This record gives sequence, structure tokens and C-alpha cells, in this order.
Amino acid sequence: MSSPDLILETHSLRRRFVTRKPLLGPPVEVRAVDGIDLRIRRGETFAIVGESGCGKSTLARMLVRLIEPSEGTVLFENRNITSLRGEDMRAMRRDLQFIFQDPFASLNPRMTVGALIEEPLRAHGLGGPDERRTRVAELLERVGLLPQHADRYPHEFSGGQRQRIGIARALACAPKLVIADEPVSALDVSIQAQVVNLLQDLKDEFALTLIIIAHDLAVIRHMADRVGVMYLGQLVEVADTDTLFTRPRHPYTEALISAIPVPRVGGPPPGPGLQGEPPNPIAPPAGCRFHPRCPYATAICRSTPPSLVPQASGASVACHRASELVLQGLRDTGTGRSPAAEQRFALYRAMRAQREGSNPSVSQHPDPEI
Amino acid sequence: MLRGARMTDRAPLLQISDLSIRFAGVPGNLVDGISLTLNAGETLCIVGESGCGKSLSALALMGLLPMPPAKRMSGQAIFEGQDLFDLPLETLKDIRGNRMAMIFQEPMTSLNPAIKVGEQIAEAVRRHKGATREEARDRALEMLRRVRIPAPEKRLDEYPHQMSGGMRQRAMIAMAMANDPALLIADEPTTALDVTVQAQVLDLMRRLQRETNAALILITHDLGVVAEMADTVMVMYAGRIVEAGPVRQVFEDPQHPYTIGLMSSMPDLGPRGGRLVTIPGVVPPADAMPEGCRFAARCPFAGPDCAIAPPLRDLGGRHRVACWRAPLECGAPDLIAQGVAT
Repeated sequence: MSSPDLILETHSLRRRFVTRKPLLGPPVEVRAVDGIDLRIRRGETFAIVGESGCGKSTLARMLVRLIEPSEGTVLFENRNITSLRGEDMRAMRRDLQFIFQDPFASLNPRMTVGALIEEPLRAHGLGGPDERRTRVAELLERVGLLPQHADRYPHEFSGGQRQRIGIARALACAPKLVIADEPVSALDVSIQAQVVNLLQDLKDEFALTLIIIAHDLAVIRHMADRVGVMYLGQLVEVADTDTLFTRPRHPYTEALISAIPVPRVGGPPPGPGLQGEPPNPIAPPAGCRFHPRCPYATAICRSTPPSLVPQASGASVACHRASELVLQGLRDTGTGRSPAAEQRFALYRAMRAQREGSNPSVSQHPDPEI
Repeated sequence: MLRGARMTDRAPLLQISDLSIRFAGVPGNLVDGISLTLNAGETLCIVGESGCGKSLSALALMGLLPMPPAKRMSGQAIFEGQDLFDLPLETLKDIRGNRMAMIFQEPMTSLNPAIKVGEQIAEAVRRHKGATREEARDRALEMLRRVRIPAPEKRLDEYPHQMSGGMRQRAMIAMAMANDPALLIADEPTTALDVTVQAQVLDLMRRLQRETNAALILITHDLGVVAEMADTVMVMYAGRIVEAGPVRQVFEDPQHPYTIGLMSSMPDLGPRGGRLVTIPGVVPPADAMPEGCRFAARCPFAGPDCAIAPPLRDLGGRHRVACWRAPLECGAPDLIAQGVAT
């Protein structure tokens, strides 16, 4: 069934949480993730998008078993990791690493940065003390910090630097797959760009497969090869990035795209936008879960849930009307800046390149701040 | 096209001149010489990253900055003919929530969790308009309707925690707009919201502003939001204005290297390109602000003269920039000659 280029697959992955246990009657459950089938190809960057509460973070955590699935399986390199126990799972974790949104919350404040990055190496019994120390220094340099930062504590670093530490730690054991949950959304714009570049460089250098969870569609457009759109615990569309943004096939994808504020003055005005908010996941609507907010909904949408069906274009869409609807992609493709602005951007790039030498790789100019 | 342009023959609604703020124990000004003018009906967007002083300036304006530890070193803020910094607290309280109001990124920090939403809105109306309980409640209901909260009669008697994030943000807007303020200050009002809800809230603010001709100061870091909302834009870096002007001019003819860096570090929505252009380094810490241009350490165009702080020059048409190098083409003739930038 599985073709060899898939690194990770999920089959009917589900997770329920009990939100309330009334004295009488059955416990109230929320189906945070409700039947996800993913096929992640080796070497790609796959993004998962959706509004808050759609289950994307729960899904990400299940892929590395930080949260145990209620049902379904996760196959990593054709091995079912949901049934692995003890030492086998620990070994598997070497290959599967996770980067968190808030690098401060995920780094033990009482450990030095060096100890934090070394910890996974030690846990997996990789190298002797000297080798590990060298490796930590290499990693720090690689993410744009300095080897002497190993002796400092996380609180001495800014948000962007802490995210770099989180990345170094995730890369310490040379994983094959890295899952990043909102890796840049807590960072300022200029710092966000640095971290986005770093992730892309490292992905190439370490031949990683990257799964990014994000709600910033511009970042996704920039980084991802393919995108999966989630709504209330289910995938509604999976497509390669360009197709998804220019020719969305699901009405929810269209709505998400039309809501992106475009950084161009006098561009086309924003669309009518999506009305309402995501419904309560405890009692999702019958039929297609999106139908109460969908401008195209018909009778069948109110009664029968659509399933994710592959289309001729290679995309998969869960919509009864996918074949007949013609939906609107990006209002503005971002090109066509004024010549004056374009010239200044080019000048800025040229000047930066000139000051930093011809290779503007992150490792060439460690963060000068500390 | 400035919606407030017709008002320019009259005195502006708000005129801030040379506002500087400093904190006890920190040697430099964290807000340093801010001046701006705002007319009725106009939207000013303040853009900048954490620590640039955009929220501090807004809080100072509202009289919400605790002094001490903060201290105003200089500056005036003339709002409807009165200097906000020179008013007794009681007078300021009459203006606040009445003639000017503020909304915040996280509505839960400004809504009282123990009081029903309708009562909170009504309280503001009773405090400032001397309305009766019934009148105030009617006004609260009308406001909830105007911000398009579904089933407003029911929501009046709900507590903030019973609402979703987007709904709470609407309730806070309803409260801020309940007394028809002339000035609304919104500090990152949509940053915590999903993109679809953000679009709804921005649309709501535009609509209310059209209806009431209020001026809006919108603090944000999202240049997309700026492009959609602003008449004028002010870019701040480390406590200073580095560039300001009508939004079209700033976007189509950006002058300051920081503005340019900020614009090019945002991933654009065009076909996928290679690496993002970044601004190296980080903002200088508050206790180590450089004497000269505060952006110089991160600026690819910086030279020895940047050790002296550049003044905010007017380039014409209210477009102002604080950079010795602007326009940048003139400072890099060799690169132009190589054809990189043409």
C-alpha cells in the first residue's frame, strides 16, 4: 500500500478529550481530531493550517506521541509508532523531533543552553562527553549563536534567540522529521524572517522533512511545498502550495485566503469575508461541518458529510460541490510593487550582501547582540 | 485619499509634539521626541516591533502609564483644545472612555470577568452621559447590535468568559464606542485573532468609524493591516519615529532602511521565492540606546555620520524620514552603476 517515498502516514487518526463528566449521563467529549489521513513525503515541507481550535496542534503532537491517539495509527517509515513501547519508542524519538511555539516555556530555565542541547544526545547515548561538547558548539554556530553561549541560561536570550536554541536542541540527534508548532508566530517580523530562513537552510542541510503548523498564511505560502487545511478536526483540502493559493477547491480555503490582509495600498478591497465563527467542536454540525458558514451550501451539505476525495489536479478536497464550484484564489499575487519601492528593496539586498560577503548564510553572522 | 482631509482647515483633533518618556533607572528615552497630527475621521497606523515605544506612547496619551516609574521628559498632547498631559486626573477621567477610548490586544485584560458584559457597557454610558439604568441598558443593547454580536439580548447578560475571543473583542469595541468617542486607540486589536475573525473585526472598525467620523490610531505590526486600514502611517523604531506619511507614499516610496527591511522581511504572497531578506541583529536593549541613529547597528547603509541622530525631515507631502542616507540611491552610486538596483 505505502509507496517508498512516504516518510509518515496516518490512518483514521482520532483524538477525543473529555471536557466534562456530569454526575449523570455520559461524559461530554470533544473530538479534537476526527479521522485524519495524512501522507507526508520524504524531504517535503508540509504545512497544516486552520483556525484556533481546529485540532492542528493536537494532530501535530499525536504524530510524535506527545499526545496518544484515541484511535488510528501513525506510521513512520512504515512502522506503526502508536504501538511502540519503552526502548523502541525512545529510539524512534531520535528521528522525530518537535519545535514548540513558545521557546521559553519549552526550555528548562535551570539548565544552561549547552546542557539543554546536549540533553537529547545524552538521552540517546550518542558520543562521549568531549564529542558531545563539540557537537553542541557546532549546533550553536549552525543556528547563528556563539559556542560560548553554551554556558548561559535561557532567560539571557531574546525570543528569537531562544527559538534558535529550541531548533538546535531539536536537531541535536540528526532527526529525519521535524514538526514545528507555530515556530515563528510569537516573534517580531524581522526576527521571524531570520528564523524562517534558518529553518529552510537547515532543512536542506540536514535533509529534513518538515511539518509546520501555522496560522500565518503568508509564512506558509513562503515555506511549504504542500498544505493541508483543517476545519473542526478534519482535513478539508490538501494540495500543493501554489495550487492551493491560486486555485482553492474548498470554500473554507477560499475564505481563509480572502481574509489575508494584502500589504499593498490600493489593492483590490477585501472580500465579504467569512461570517460567524467556528462552531462548538463538542457538537459539530451535521453533514459538512463547514455548511453553516458556507455560502455555497446546498441540501446535501446539511445532511451528508463529504469525504476527502482526490481530484484530477492532484489535490484532495472534502466538498460535495468541488467539481462544479469555481473559487477565488489570492486577490493579489504580491507582485507589481511600485518601481521606486522595488528599487529600494534591491538596493537594500545588494547593500546587505555587500556588507556581509557573498554568502549571506545565517552561520556567517552570528547574532551580534550578546 | 484622506477621509479627514476636509478637516485640515480647522485645528486637528489631536496634536502631539515632542513627546519623550523615560523610565526610572533607564538612561535613555524609551519614547523619544514623537510628534504627530491626527484629524477627525482619519486613521493613523503605528507600526513597529516589540519595544519600539508604540504601546507606551498610546498608554501615555490615555494617562494609563504609571508615573513613576515612567516619567514624561517633554511633550504636549493637544486633544480637542486641551493638553492631555496638563489636566487634573478628574478631568482626564471625564475624557477617557468618553471623548477618547482604547481597546487592547487581549480583551480579557480590560473586561471585568465578574461583571456581565451588558452592565460593563452600560456603566460607561451612565458614568459619562448621566443616563438612567434603562437608557444605559438600551444603549448597551444597541452597541452590541451595531458590532453584530448575534443574539445581543442574550449576550447582555453573559459574562466575558462565556464569549469567544472574537466576540469579546467585539464587546470591547462596543464598550469603547458606546459614548461616540472622537478618538479610538486600538493596540494590536486583532493580533490574537484568527485571520477570518481579524477580517471581521477590521471591517467592523472601518464601518463604525465611517458612521461616527471618529479618528483611529491603530497600533499593529502587520503591514497588510496597515495597507488596508491606514490613511497615514508612522514607523517607529526603538522609541523614535523613523518614517511617517500618507500610507501610499510610505508603501510606494519607502525611504528609511528600517521600513524597507521590515517590508522585505515579510513573506509576500507572490510565487514562492528563495530566502527572505532579513534585518540582522535585534533591537538595542532599553538601557543601551545608542546616541545617534538607533537603527545604525543593524543598518546596511550606516556610516560614521550615523553617530549623530538624524532629524525627521519632511520630503514634501507630509512624508517624513529620519535618515541621513535618504533617498538611498544617492548614497550608493556604485551599486546603481553596477545595475543591481535598477
